[in-house]
Amino acid sequence: MSASGNTRSRLQTKTSQARVPRRFRGWALATPPMLFTLIFFIAPLALLVLYSFGQMDILTFQISFGWTTENWRTVFTGIYASALLRSVVLSVVSTALCVLIGFPAALGMTRMPARMQNILLLAVIVPYWISFVVRNYAWLTLLGPDGMVTRCLEAVHVVDVGKDLRYTSTAIVIGMVSSYLPLMILPIYVALERIDPAVLDAAADLGLHGVHAFRRVVLPLSAPGLIAGVLLVGVPATGEYTIPAILGGGKTLMVGNVIRDKFLGVGDFPLGSALAATLMALLIVVLVASRKRIRQLEDVL
Amino acid sequence: MKARKRPLFPTIVLGAVLLLLNLPILAVAINSLNAGDTVTDWTGVSLRWFGEIIGDDRIRAAFWNSVVIGLLATVVSVVIGVMTTLAARLLPKRAQTAFTLTTYARLILPEVVTAVGLYLLFSYLGIGFGVATVVVGHALFCSAYATVVIQARYAGISDRYADAAADLGARPMRAFRRVTVPLLAPALFVSALLSFAFSFDDVLSTTFLSGPDTETLPILMMGMIRQHVTPEVNAIAATVMIVTLAAVALLVAVTNVRSVAGTRDRPQS
Repeated sequence: MSASGNTRSRLQTKTSQARVPRRFRGWALATPPMLFTLIFFIAPLALLVLYSFGQMDILTFQISFGWTTENWRTVFTGIYASALLRSVVLSVVSTALCVLIGFPAALGMTRMPARMQNILLLAVIVPYWISFVVRNYAWLTLLGPDGMVTRCLEAVHVVDVGKDLRYTSTAIVIGMVSSYLPLMILPIYVALERIDPAVLDAAADLGLHGVHAFRRVVLPLSAPGLIAGVLLVGVPATGEYTIPAILGGGKTLMVGNVIRDKFLGVGDFPLGSALAATLMALLIVVLVASRKRIRQLEDVL
Repeated sequence: MKARKRPLFPTIVLGAVLLLLNLPILAVAINSLNAGDTVTDWTGVSLRWFGEIIGDDRIRAAFWNSVVIGLLATVVSVVIGVMTTLAARLLPKRAQTAFTLTTYARLILPEVVTAVGLYLLFSYLGIGFGVATVVVGHALFCSAYATVVIQARYAGISDRYADAAADLGARPMRAFRRVTVPLLAPALFVSALLSFAFSFDDVLSTTFLSGPDTETLPILMMGMIRQHVTPEVNAIAATVMIVTLAAVALLVAVTNVRSVAGTRDRPQS
């Protein structure tokens, strides 16, 4: 550094002068987003918890905040518990399938020539950009009695002729896997792409080949991407509404659909709130349990 | 060093994945051109159903509702994203952490939870449901995406540029307009398109927050799908696809594939 003493002192006074307005500017900029978050994010969640302890009069539809735990007990009984359970099971199954399909696919992508990789990235991403409703509606037509998928399965005698594959849990899982798969492939691809080929060569030199090299080197190095993918798929899939509404046909209900019916159908705000709060609590537990991993996740995103 | 060999199994899976992701979309595109009165009987290629949906007042109204809500949600989201990003660097560490936490919380919590919360808030306050409430609902999660995208770009932009502008006599607003905004431009563009796409496609928040009189395209489609699978739905679906593909094409033309995919390495600060 060859700055003269003159310039340096000028710079110092500049920063010390700027310090007060700098922080003031910070708070002025921060106020609108802070208010937005407080009013439209924090307050609604607090209201949600408050409502979940309230009560609805069956005759007058009036809601009173009575600090009853009845809603919370109802959540864990009968159809509500089974909707929650179904949501968790379908989400876990879909996420597992996404891992099993997404990991090899991402691995296959990294082994392609660089130019080809960009085209493949587009082929994975563009479907993700296309409307959820459109894609799952497409599956609805493919899985119907006259649909292309049903016809193909009939031809190889996997299903009986005239079978309707729509409105089943299987249809929901197909919809969820094909909708969320890009969110699994991308972070895994990024993690795999960052592995230095020299590391693999070193492993090979030290006698690790094939499956062993994969298990001891590739898998651990791609773990952050894998975990990111699991969270990106598993969390929204648990609260999914649109896919079961289309492919479940109102018969195979997940908790998101039950919550919607409680609010917009029956108008039972307290029970609906308790269900939503349960879903929130469930996912917070999962996220806190994987907190350390989430910190690594920020590097991948 | 010899090229790493291409393993067979992953390549096969990759091919299957591309089929799984793109086959449904292709099916819709082809079906939308069917001239027949039903979805299953193929009677020839025509643009008949596109004509029918353009002539339908309800579908047109839903389309414009979606566009207006999408644009408003985009403006709100990008403004919040920029303010959060700029503020974070000026604030003490603890406030920065609080900002990061609420941003990620908005991304991670399932949409049904935040939508129900807003539904309760607006009902409690007696605010009527309509375009404004839907915009708030969409901006809630779109702004979180926008913040993450803009912050990633801003991390690579040193304060030195704005400081240099200040040294040359620019007032903060002018330094922001002439130096920071151009440097942030690619991120602003990406976050705007992301926000619009997410808003244009949203079902859940809109279901809760739109009320009986405001219908968007996805909500209209959900209703039509539940009643009957009609040829109109295919034409609407194809129209939605064209809008999205145009946006993606614009993105790829302006930036590059990797930033669209969100896989570009973070700029080094």
